[in-house]
Amino acid sequence: MATRSGFSAQTLSVLAALHDEPSQWRHGYAMATQTGLKSGTLYPILIRLADRGLVEGRWQDEPRPGRPRRRLYRLTADGLAAARSEAALAGAGRTVRPGARAARGGPAAVLRAARGGAAVLMPAVSQ
Amino acid sequence: MTGLSRLGAVAQRAALRLVPPGRRDWVEALWAEAPEVPAGPRRLAWRAGGVALMAREALMQRRIGSAMLFAAAAALAAWAAWPGSPAGFASSVDRVDVIVLVLVLAGLPLLGRRGFGPPGRSRTARLLRVGGYAAILALIPAKNVIEQVLDAPPRGGTELRLYRLIAGSGFGNSWKSEIVFLVVMALYAAAILWVTAQRSGIAPATLAVGTGAGIAVGAVLYAIVPLGVSNAATNPWLPGSDSDALVALAWILVLLGPVGAGIVAYRRQAARASASQPGSASQPDLGSQPGSAARQSVAAALLTSLVSALLAIAAGSGTIAAMMKAAWLRNWLYHGHLLAGVGGLRLLLRNDPAALAYSHQITAATDAPPFLIMCVAFPLIALGLTGLGVLIARAEAAAGHAGPGHGSGAPLGPGPAPDRAAGAGGSAPALG
Repeated sequence: MATRSGFSAQTLSVLAALHDEPSQWRHGYAMATQTGLKSGTLYPILIRLADRGLVEGRWQDEPRPGRPRRRLYRLTADGLAAARSEAALAGAGRTVRPGARAARGGPAAVLRAARGGAAVLMPAVSQ
Repeated sequence: MTGLSRLGAVAQRAALRLVPPGRRDWVEALWAEAPEVPAGPRRLAWRAGGVALMAREALMQRRIGSAMLFAAAAALAAWAAWPGSPAGFASSVDRVDVIVLVLVLAGLPLLGRRGFGPPGRSRTARLLRVGGYAAILALIPAKNVIEQVLDAPPRGGTELRLYRLIAGSGFGNSWKSEIVFLVVMALYAAAILWVTAQRSGIAPATLAVGTGAGIAVGAVLYAIVPLGVSNAATNPWLPGSDSDALVALAWILVLLGPVGAGIVAYRRQAARASASQPGSASQPDLGSQPGSAARQSVAAALLTSLVSALLAIAAGSGTIAAMMKAAWLRNWLYHGHLLAGVGGLRLLLRNDPAALAYSHQITAATDAPPFLIMCVAFPLIALGLTGLGVLIARAEAAAGHAGPGHGSGAPLGPGPAPDRAAGAGGSAPALG
């Protein structure tokens, strides 16, 4: 279920996860754990958001010994604005409606975002 | 690292090459997270997501679309070209044709990417690759239809006499010419892939010049000899089509077309070189850099000959093959036209419409194989003439360096040098 701004429930959950601490760089796995999305869903969303200039990424400076360098992500200024705008729309109850796709056993975070985007995004708006 | 994981890493790197360069970071980032995921089904699911991401990104790029388009066209060509009956030498040759050419056309882009780099992104480069491949694929069924006719002598009567008179030994046991055909087609495909590759340094403007000139020359050739190469024009609609003069005109065009394209490309590149060195007083070295005027000139000439030959033989062979299958087309092409070139033919054909139709078929089928000579001769002629022109141009440029005219607008090559002062003033001709 897409919102009027074109974001799916899963995308909203990713925006919300990044918006929790906008200045912090986040790992992909941490976001997957937080949103409940699988890697094959999360990364295409990140790619789309990066293509739209809403998310930026960088490689980890000092990887742990024996581990590959990890990539870190955070919202750009535009991403932050989009997330806030989305949260405002969701708060007004005009954009996010319960979606059949998300309701069919999707991850809990996605359901939360689809059923009440405001609940996910609004706390971040107040920061 | 265990053998299995090493093998996995190699497979991963190989698979990553399918993903567009701009997206590889994302896939690598996903893989880099895998060690953080708890081992077992969850890590496996994470890696499966990586495979899905790779497949998605690879499928979204144009390369996969091109591969699918090629597969469809190749399947169509193979279906149309595959001979129904296994009997006969032509059937064996035709099957080898289909298999080898499809494999060669499919494999060359993969090899070409290693050797020539990724394909050029200009519209002309894309059109050229698609057009070149389409022409070669279209040639396969056309050639096979013609060979089936040549390899099937009539059982008797007037038609057998016509066959012996016009086709002589017919198709014969011609594995050698078949190998030459396959090698020439592979070289054509390789040349097209090279000129359209990014690493070749051929400018899109050069591709446009060569392709445009090639299409023009090929169209004229096709108009004059649509039904095969002979010492007379084979277009039955041309008045006085038995005249050698038209064939001579075609050959003059074959010589002039590539040379003209080479000169145009040379001048454009020379003008570009001058414009890019506005403050330089010395003569630009047009022959030493990638994308140099000499290279552009040779590429334009080669492209003209390749495109014209490919267009003429694909269209010509296609017309002949269609004529074999469609009586209406044969009747339309030969609108009461009698073949007078072969001695004694008029007597055989008198009041015998079936024999007349067969004479047209077998004559065209016999005139089709010399198309292969065009394929070999055209690029050689173009390369010879243009190479000579480039050598002269470079010698003149070198003389301009050493002589009193140095830096004062000495001739650069096949044409007069662009006005260097004008180029410095920013009024050089617009370059495409």
